[in-house]
Amino acid sequence: MRRLTLGIAACAAFAFGASTASAQDITVGFVTSLSGPASSIGLNYEKGINAAYAYQAEVDGHKINLVKLDDGSDPSAATQNARKLVQQNHVDLMIGTSSAPGTNAMLTVANELKVPFIGISPVNVPIPKEGHPWGIAVPQTPNLMVKVIADRMKREGIKTVGFIGFTDSWGDLVYNGAKAAEKNGDPQVTSNERYTRTDTSVTAQALKVMATKPDALLDGGSATQAALPLLEMRKLGFKGNFYGTPALLNRDFVRIGGKAADGVQVSAGPVIVTSQLPDSHFSKKIGTKFHEVFKKVNNSEADDGFSGYSFDGWLIFLNAAKVALKTAKPGTPEFHEALMQAIYSNKDVAGVHSVYNFTPKSYYGVDDRSLVVVKLVDGKWVYQP
Amino acid sequence: MNSQIAAILTMDGVATGAIYVLIALGFVLIFAVTRIIFVPFGDITAFTALTLADLEAKRLPGTASMIAVLALAAALMEVAALLRSGATNRIPRALIYYLVLPLVPATIVWATAGLAMPAPLRIALTMALILPLAPLLDRIVFRPIADASVLLLLIVSVALHFALVGIGLLFFGPEGVRTQSLVDYSAMIAGTPVSGETLLIVASAAFFSFLLYLFFNFTLTGKALHATAMNRTGARLMGIRPQQSGTIAFLLGSLLAAVSGVLIAPVNTIFYDSGFLIGLKAFVGAIIGGLVSFPVTAIGSVLVGVLESFAAFQSSPFKEVIVFSVLIPVLLWRSWSFVHADEEDEE
Amino acid sequence: MSARAQMLVVAIAVLALLAAPLYMAPFTITLMNYIGVYSFVALGLVLMTGIAGMVSFGQASFMGIAAYATAWASALMGWSPWIGLVLAVVVTCAVAAIVGLATLRLQGHFLSLSTIAWGLALYFTFGNIASLGAYNGIPSIPPPSLGSIALVGSGQIFYLIWGALLVSLLAAHNLLGSRSGRAMRALRGGNALVESLGINALYVRLVTFVIAALLAALSGWLYAHMSRFVSPTPFDVTMSIIFLMMAMVGGSGYLLGAVVGAALITLLKNWIQDVLPLIAPSTSGQLEIVVFSSLFIVFLQRARDGIVPYVAQWLPEPRRERPQAAEAMPRRAQPAPGRVLMQVEAASRSFGGLIAVNKVSFDLRAGEILALIGPNGAGKTTMFNLITGALPASEGRILFADEDITRASACSIARAGIARTFQHVKLRPKMSLIDNVLLGAYARTRAGFFAGAARLDRTEEARAQAEAMRQLERVGLGNRPFDLAGNLPLGNQRLLEIARALAADPVLLVLDEPAAGLRRQEKMKLAELLRSLRAEGLTILLVEHDMDFVMGLVDRIVVMEFGCKLCEGTPEAVRADARVQEAYLGGVA
Repeated sequence: MRRLTLGIAACAAFAFGASTASAQDITVGFVTSLSGPASSIGLNYEKGINAAYAYQAEVDGHKINLVKLDDGSDPSAATQNARKLVQQNHVDLMIGTSSAPGTNAMLTVANELKVPFIGISPVNVPIPKEGHPWGIAVPQTPNLMVKVIADRMKREGIKTVGFIGFTDSWGDLVYNGAKAAEKNGDPQVTSNERYTRTDTSVTAQALKVMATKPDALLDGGSATQAALPLLEMRKLGFKGNFYGTPALLNRDFVRIGGKAADGVQVSAGPVIVTSQLPDSHFSKKIGTKFHEVFKKVNNSEADDGFSGYSFDGWLIFLNAAKVALKTAKPGTPEFHEALMQAIYSNKDVAGVHSVYNFTPKSYYGVDDRSLVVVKLVDGKWVYQP
Repeated sequence: MNSQIAAILTMDGVATGAIYVLIALGFVLIFAVTRIIFVPFGDITAFTALTLADLEAKRLPGTASMIAVLALAAALMEVAALLRSGATNRIPRALIYYLVLPLVPATIVWATAGLAMPAPLRIALTMALILPLAPLLDRIVFRPIADASVLLLLIVSVALHFALVGIGLLFFGPEGVRTQSLVDYSAMIAGTPVSGETLLIVASAAFFSFLLYLFFNFTLTGKALHATAMNRTGARLMGIRPQQSGTIAFLLGSLLAAVSGVLIAPVNTIFYDSGFLIGLKAFVGAIIGGLVSFPVTAIGSVLVGVLESFAAFQSSPFKEVIVFSVLIPVLLWRSWSFVHADEEDEE
Repeated sequence: MSARAQMLVVAIAVLALLAAPLYMAPFTITLMNYIGVYSFVALGLVLMTGIAGMVSFGQASFMGIAAYATAWASALMGWSPWIGLVLAVVVTCAVAAIVGLATLRLQGHFLSLSTIAWGLALYFTFGNIASLGAYNGIPSIPPPSLGSIALVGSGQIFYLIWGALLVSLLAAHNLLGSRSGRAMRALRGGNALVESLGINALYVRLVTFVIAALLAALSGWLYAHMSRFVSPTPFDVTMSIIFLMMAMVGGSGYLLGAVVGAALITLLKNWIQDVLPLIAPSTSGQLEIVVFSSLFIVFLQRARDGIVPYVAQWLPEPRRERPQAAEAMPRRAQPAPGRVLMQVEAASRSFGGLIAVNKVSFDLRAGEILALIGPNGAGKTTMFNLITGALPASEGRILFADEDITRASACSIARAGIARTFQHVKLRPKMSLIDNVLLGAYARTRAGFFAGAARLDRTEEARAQAEAMRQLERVGLGNRPFDLAGNLPLGNQRLLEIARALAADPVLLVLDEPAAGLRRQEKMKLAELLRSLRAEGLTILLVEHDMDFVMGLVDRIVVMEFGCKLCEGTPEAVRADARVQEAYLGGVA
């Protein structure tokens, strides 16, 4: 009997769209990849939003409901989830997701249904010709991530750099970033080798890079498996330095990479080295708070960059909601418009990664302050001013 | 490309290919006896590596509870089936096989979790833990549909793979592992440094292929399996129970997967979902052997490994495209030379 | 259920569907759109896998080709989505035709495995083409517009998706009831029968394959303009497998199974996503795929053929009308009686070192019944296969109506006017009697795939149906034409094979052990039938074991032993021949 009732309830919910939130609550939808290839970083995003929700779950007396969905690393599922959040859960704002294609897909839905969207992965959808886009992207642009580290290479006298990266959108973004930096006088990129996360060997790719005799290597992998080319290159006797992006900031990368990864330098959001920052740094105070809450909620240290994006996305939302609540009621189209306008009008919002200034002209609101260079020394990331 | 690079690439390819050999032999073995294309093979290899890494890190591996749950389910299904057919006298035996035996290694692992163990003991324990995995999955998933078409079995096999990947993520998390080296040795072959691990992998592949050869040609069980593979009905008439043959085939398959898992763990980072692509490439090797011939399968698998290595050097972004495109001419050649007009599909 | 009641039910269902945006929640419509888009691919798989027996793990890549084609045209080149549609369909079908030509000769699971190969290859290719956005994909694809209305919202594109789907379903339904549809259904179960009916199996497979790709292309086009963003991930092998799951869950042998399966899987995934967080809040994301896969496995263990046949067994049988009388089909001119119709000249065939047929020669005259007899292993069946083209002769010549058919394919021999039956009856057990007989008339009719789908074949079809009915009545099976062939007893199955052969309007009827396994009564009936056919001028060659049956029936006999011709002559002469007696009784001397 209970099963029958449940079934009927589920059917009714399906046909008419369930809505349980009270009128005064703000509802936020969050999408990440808890399964599939992107789950390695997706789980960090999830932990970040858990910390953020624990940090603050109400704005000016309005309770915030958080609806979380998994997209299984599939952009189709991300699209479907975005529609579900808007049409079934009637969210006021969406945050997501852990892959660039999925984030683009969600942004497309946000633009159609006119609901504010905070992207926590890079986006590359063109800005609409009329009106304003309905989304922003929290992370540093991939070009900026690569530029900061490429500038560091130049400073250290490196003329040529080999590239090995993933056979996916992340590999594309890093390679394109390096190519863009090349034009500004940063090191020449000598190779474009790719591998997949589940590959059993990168010997061939490493040999190919070695053949181009670069001064250093730029690693376009992410998370644990980014260690594979470093291990292989050292095995083949490569003596040059290793450089990378924030995607390498991962506990298991450090563990697997071991000696080979020691000395690798990556660009990173300041949140990675919060405790090493000077007290005057914008990220010191909020970052310390973030690490505290994160540890309490997730029982582990926040040693990745991704959870910080979720957290910053949440801060951007909180700041915007504070403003928007003055003019409109949650759950209304007016509130959505007000939220989006508040995101644009709030200036110098300090997060754990960056100081954010958004405009309708671009999705990104970060500047050079959002990245520092850190170096892996004896298994610890050390701030390199 | 100079000869030095070619030598390194070949070594690398042979080592990868040797792993494929072990898995591909398992594919052929299980398909020949049960008509099941056992897609989750690679997953079992990955689970072995992850289990070993957990033991190394003095954690309780998720496989222990997974085996316990599967053993319980299989035992329940078996007892229910025996009750229905009235063969109650066979229940104690079924309980020993499906419940007690798989639970022994699981219990040991559970009891010793967190203790430091020497490497050989860890490996032995991991293998003992993994061994019952494939036979249990066979009992739970495939036995009820043993008479279905190859297609249906294949689809169910794929669904099982999805389920296992999900379970793997749940138990082992999304991060990869790499275990300590098994041997600390390095040799020079043709002016190329070759690690002891590579030699061990190749030697193991050769050894287990030889063992299988002996098993099939010189033992009664092996001959019975061979008979089942050739003609199911005939074998049944000769008093060979196809179910039993199936269980033995899955047990051997589990063994091969476990061995390849132990071997690959120290040389590569293994994730919960690494198994699929490894399995798929091994499968290309199995297809080259037409899913029937063991020697051709072994040669084919090594070829796939070498091809993969050279393809990665030529054009790494298109590596998979090259490897899988090779399959098509191979299949065409297979289909022209081995399948005759009198082959009739099941209706 | 009468035809009118059926129409009414269908009409109400279609109306309820089209009015859905008026009474359903917006997200339900979104889900319906996904179901519709996926149904196209699943429908293609039903035609390809369930009907024609070819399993594909690569359908999502066809969907991807189409999606990328239209994304390139509309987002990057700025053309209208409707130009994108034309481009998507043309490119996808062209790729499918090329891939099909390369791989469709493969048999059974080898074909399925090759589809995994090119499915994977295409996925990695998309991801590596920089001008198509590589792994980041193509954003900002415009919605299609009708006149000045842009179909942006879920409720608008809904009509486009479901309208096109209903049309596709109707066309597929028509196709299956036509000449080409029957040929598709006949593919399942092996090539030997198909080729013997004058059906070019490779051609039918290829067209079926392209049709499935066409449906995937429609799906891809709709997908691209519905989500307005494409990247390689939604078109990888996993998605192909999910499409196959949809077809199998719904019922891969049934058109409606495609829609039911797509709906069930999409809703199930959505439902699991809603329910799991209530049960397991911390691990629900990872559990989703586990629960989904487990449910799928349990489902297939319980209902292997899918939902549609499972439900259909409780529904009233749709009633089919007996075909009306129609104008008779044109017939072949029969050769003058007594003329030499076939000459076998020193035909030989060896398998490796074994010579199965050794320099056998004989003539066959129009209007006679000739029997080919001999003890087991004499090479009769091999001789039979040489004549019907199932095997090529190693040496020698075979002439039929003055044409050399020694190296001709089974298909062209059938088209030349030789119709055959099989020693082990080859019927399509899941097709009705009349459909089995209609297969025989394939070579006499012309309507192609398009004509069948668009119902332009009705006149010809009516004539073929009337002809099939006539042949069924002639062999005495005319009272229940819509029963399934598999339900007939063996004797009647042999008669059905003869009716099928007769429907081809043959010059020569070749029967392989037609009396084997028949009861005495049935043998007499069969002999009666063969005599009346001879009276109409038909020439008959039969390979037979049963001496009594042969002796009273045939005009002449050719006896074979150890692959050679032993002797030839009238039944009386053969009976009296000492060599024959020795061969049959074994060393009388």
